[in-house]
Amino acid sequence: MFKNKKKKKTQRDPHINKLIEIVGEKEVLYEDADLLSYDCDGFTVHRAMPKAVVFPENTEEVAAIVRYCSINDIPFLARGAGTGLSGGAIPLNREVIISLVKMKHLLSVDYENRQAVVQPGFVNLKLTNSISDKGYYYAPDPSSQYVCTIGGNVAENAGGAHCLKYGVTTNHILGLEVVLPNGEIIEISEDGVPDSPGYDVMGLLTGSEGTLGIVTKITVRILKNPEGKQTVLAYFDHIEDGSRAVSDIISAGIVPAALEMMDKTAIEGVEAGSYPVGHPDDIEALLLIEVDGILAGIEEQIDQILSVCKGRNVREVKVAESEEERGRWWANRKTGFGAMGAISRDYLVQDGVIPRSKLPEVLKNISEISKESGLRIANIFHAGDGNLHPLILFDSSNPGETEKALKAGTACLKACSDVGGSITGEHGVGIEKKEEMRFVFTDEELEAQIKIREVFNPDDLLNKGKLFPTPSRCMDVKKIVKDTVAVQ
Amino acid sequence: MDFQASHPGQQNGSSVSLVDRFGNKGAAVVTPKSEDEISEILQKANQEGKSVSIESGGSKRGYGGIKENYDYTLSMAEYKGVVEHNVGDMTVTVRAGTTITELQEFLQEHHQMIAIDPNWPDQSTIGGVIAANESGPKRLKYGSARDLVIGLRVVYPDGQVIRTGGKVVKNVAGYDMNKLFIGAMGTLGVITEITMKLRPIPKYESLVQVSASEDRIDDLKQLGVSIQDSMKEPVTLELLNPALSKKMINREAYTLLIAFEDVEKSCRDQEEWIEKHKPDGCYAEVLTQQEAQNFWKTFRSHAPNSLTDKAAEITQAVVKVASKNMDVYQIMKESKSIELEHDVSVEAHGGLGHGISHYIVSGKGEEVTAAVYHLRRITEVRKGYAVVKHLLYDLRNQIDIWGGKTSYFFLFEGIKHTIDPNNTLNHQRFIGGI
Repeated sequence: MFKNKKKKKTQRDPHINKLIEIVGEKEVLYEDADLLSYDCDGFTVHRAMPKAVVFPENTEEVAAIVRYCSINDIPFLARGAGTGLSGGAIPLNREVIISLVKMKHLLSVDYENRQAVVQPGFVNLKLTNSISDKGYYYAPDPSSQYVCTIGGNVAENAGGAHCLKYGVTTNHILGLEVVLPNGEIIEISEDGVPDSPGYDVMGLLTGSEGTLGIVTKITVRILKNPEGKQTVLAYFDHIEDGSRAVSDIISAGIVPAALEMMDKTAIEGVEAGSYPVGHPDDIEALLLIEVDGILAGIEEQIDQILSVCKGRNVREVKVAESEEERGRWWANRKTGFGAMGAISRDYLVQDGVIPRSKLPEVLKNISEISKESGLRIANIFHAGDGNLHPLILFDSSNPGETEKALKAGTACLKACSDVGGSITGEHGVGIEKKEEMRFVFTDEELEAQIKIREVFNPDDLLNKGKLFPTPSRCMDVKKIVKDTVAVQ
Repeated sequence: MDFQASHPGQQNGSSVSLVDRFGNKGAAVVTPKSEDEISEILQKANQEGKSVSIESGGSKRGYGGIKENYDYTLSMAEYKGVVEHNVGDMTVTVRAGTTITELQEFLQEHHQMIAIDPNWPDQSTIGGVIAANESGPKRLKYGSARDLVIGLRVVYPDGQVIRTGGKVVKNVAGYDMNKLFIGAMGTLGVITEITMKLRPIPKYESLVQVSASEDRIDDLKQLGVSIQDSMKEPVTLELLNPALSKKMINREAYTLLIAFEDVEKSCRDQEEWIEKHKPDGCYAEVLTQQEAQNFWKTFRSHAPNSLTDKAAEITQAVVKVASKNMDVYQIMKESKSIELEHDVSVEAHGGLGHGISHYIVSGKGEEVTAAVYHLRRITEVRKGYAVVKHLLYDLRNQIDIWGGKTSYFFLFEGIKHTIDPNNTLNHQRFIGGI
């Protein structure tokens, strides 16, 4: 990866020389062959080549690169593990990609104050693994947690299966060190002291998809493992019964740690994938429900959940009998997206959110969209917080099918926003859902957000062309996206 | 809308001038009843270069602000009521002028609540609580406004209405603009509607009050540490200093308030754990259900605010201290020296698990300001900060109530200038005079 063909310094782009001066020859990629794997992230429908990829090892190097790019009008963006699903790390403007994978250290853990300080390239699951011997964990658990980085999680405000009870990334960030788009380094809530006086810039930066600054150090909250944990699996003959059970559980005053749902097509996928658990092939839906907390109180909640499921005509409902069994159920769920590869050549994941009570209605609409498009749609999602993940199955080798899939995806998001929902719960807008931002925001509201971006990123050099559809400002971007699709 | 020539309170003779000692008053009071009216008022004020002070319950007149007078007070007091409550979705949309008590009573019928426990629920409105980012001891378990608000409607100074966030519990579409307005002290826009996540009312609740004499305060800290390191799930770990403990429960000792909210079995199990692990020589009492609720009700009314602080002889300051979780204990211990060095009395409580403490300092004006500086010094040594939340206007001008600017203050200025270039709204109410 780092074996650049040695060109004479004089033949190289002078900007590349300068970047090499900052981080060293081995830490800059600039040959096309080396750049190929950076032409997209987890959203593979669009691709575009960066100018270079640099691998800084500390905050000062990040700041120096940013300063140089800023002074010389070179577009740039930050990248973590590249698992983002909305194209947030795709270089639309020949960006210099600042890869943070070398800033991958756990800097400190303070158990008494329940916080840890990590560099942005530190992998999400590694944090939990590093502190689990003392009985602690880091709560946000996106499905890609074994590879995605906490810096990327901050950029996207990542969620996960357990955010129903424990919240998303923004609820677990206590402090940030940030390199602003002009290269200035700022420290927000140093030492993780809460409620820092002033506007909540930390809250604004979290989930800003890398358009306001580059996070170089993160103080996160760590939690003590729950005393008890029970997981329930429930099979339903009718999807409607499954979705009504979801509402009933919440209405019963239970706050499950997780409440996940899969439909028939999704079950077919996960059972054909690497972690099958033997779900029946003739059910319409399954629920995976986890309750955690004080051991003495869990049984009562499990009993309630079992009786709710029975009241909704459950075919079979069981409680995991061992940690091993629980682990298998979760592996089956968490690898769900990838498992679709076993039943379809390509798939597109969507990320709409709806009020929980609208679940039956929206699932019906999605099934209509599937029929109309002629494409199968699998639903595998966080039912408890209404975060749907329709997986649109298609074959890009069939002419026109990619476009059909994109169209079906947009229709799914429209179905969500029409019932008062949102177009994205955890994957972000990126380039994928820019146009769909209009489903949820007026022009004035979009403009209000763009004005905030201008405070941080006045020259729009940092991750340009993401998030917003505003025609007057994004016309160029649209053209580029169109071009990149065309060359595929 | 109603226009009044002066603050409504002024009709009550002497009590009025007492409220006005806290500044932040408008030459005329306008009380809109619709969002359109709010928009109209702001647009007009903005065009005419008039300044507007936002108020609803009126309990925070002593919080922030180095301007005594504004052209208008925009009173949100009559813009109230629940707009939408989706029981099954556990979300509520409410107008800003609704008091916390009104909202909780409404939700209670559906066995739901907003999980935020600020002071003065009968007087504080949800709009004020969100704008000032108020919280109480229970933020340990439930988080603060930034964790609970999922959407806002905000009227910008130019009259535009902007929605931020949405009505679903998980949402990352665009910037998380909700965060900008929470705790912004009304300097960016008028929050008209708030959409929040709800929680079920716990099936059972209890409160263990563990008290230790002054020489045993370290034992109490140790109890706090071991609870945090256990897998127990307290809703509060609030430490009271002896003066406040005396006032609340008539025990002049450091007292740790350990609350539980869950099914009964779980609460009982945790109470037993505390009983078993409390240090020797500590006194513990358990309050359950209504008793616990009554205690919290009293607790939420102990601090002075601009409506209740009518003291003429003494000056009272309420200071919010933020620190690392366990520094709450250390700062409270060190704060004893404040009473020794200044002629003031200090009541204090702070959350060992969440890092927010409150100090009520009472005494003569200059002694109080000296004590506040003292408290700020011992806080800043531990990289925390101290913000004065309640103090007479005259004294607010003598000390920097926000405790200095942060290094990235220019971003705050940029945000303020972008949204409110004419400084129409709550000008100088917030940090650094923005």
